[in-house]
Amino acid sequence: MSLRLGAFNIPHLSSHTIRAAGVYVSGILYSSAFYYMLDSALWSAHKNPSNVHVGFVDWLPLILCSLGMAIINLVEKSRLNGNNAFGNEYGGNNDTWQAKVVLFLGFAFLSGGVADSVVILVLKYIIPKYGLPVLAMGIQNVISSCLVMTSCLILWVAQNMQDDYSYSLQL
Amino acid sequence: MLTQVQKIFLLSSVLSLGFVLIILSSALYHNWLPLTVVLMFLLAPIPNSLCGNTQSEDFMSEAPDLLADFGRFLTSFLLTSGVALPVTFAHNGLIKIPAMIMSLAGGAIVYGSIVTFGAIFYEPEGY
Repeated sequence: MSLRLGAFNIPHLSSHTIRAAGVYVSGILYSSAFYYMLDSALWSAHKNPSNVHVGFVDWLPLILCSLGMAIINLVEKSRLNGNNAFGNEYGGNNDTWQAKVVLFLGFAFLSGGVADSVVILVLKYIIPKYGLPVLAMGIQNVISSCLVMTSCLILWVAQNMQDDYSYSLQL
Repeated sequence: MLTQVQKIFLLSSVLSLGFVLIILSSALYHNWLPLTVVLMFLLAPIPNSLCGNTQSEDFMSEAPDLLADFGRFLTSFLLTSGVALPVTFAHNGLIKIPAMIMSLAGGAIVYGSIVTFGAIFYEPEGY
């Protein structure tokens, strides 16, 4: 990972660079998830030999995943550490609890989106026993929601890495 | 070394070469879908420049620079869109493969010249 970052013309690798690279990678993954889904929708509209088409229901997993990703990233990360230096001084406990509830909601949306895509794959494509070119629409759906989940994961890791580093820097 | 004016002239001619490639990719096949690529690559540098690239200033500060992160996310989203859109169109037969290659090359040239322009002529304030 560190070798690839040399192209950004920054001589030493601070955690800031790695964080920026993580955010870029997560954006690329999210975008490819969207265009993978768009690809399946366009295929369904233009080249589809069967009667099954990509409709609003097939877009629902991506929408749910994106919603979950938005919720997760709107939670302020510093509120999650209940045992922070400042956390307990002004009622940090209650704030932490609320942040955790919202975070749980976000992860529920995210994994719900992935589960939704699997449900659509099974109910819409596998149980009616469609062959591969049609089945691929369902598989693309699952892959794109998994890509959104990976993107969210990388974004989370990249943003938390910076926090750790600046914390240890202050010590 | 080139003077400033020569640099500007060179960059603008490269930029127009990119535009020519993209417009040719649309006009040769009477199919104007590849023009969306121009839009993506023209929009791509905007979020990063709006949200600020505060690499050195924010290094020691406590709060992580969330706005810059959002800008980076949008930039990479738009850049990947610029690449993925013609590939998706070509995969589904909406545009021809040569049109895809031409619009991709044109988009890369346009974005490259914009970024190079920014890298050469941008002078950060407060230094």
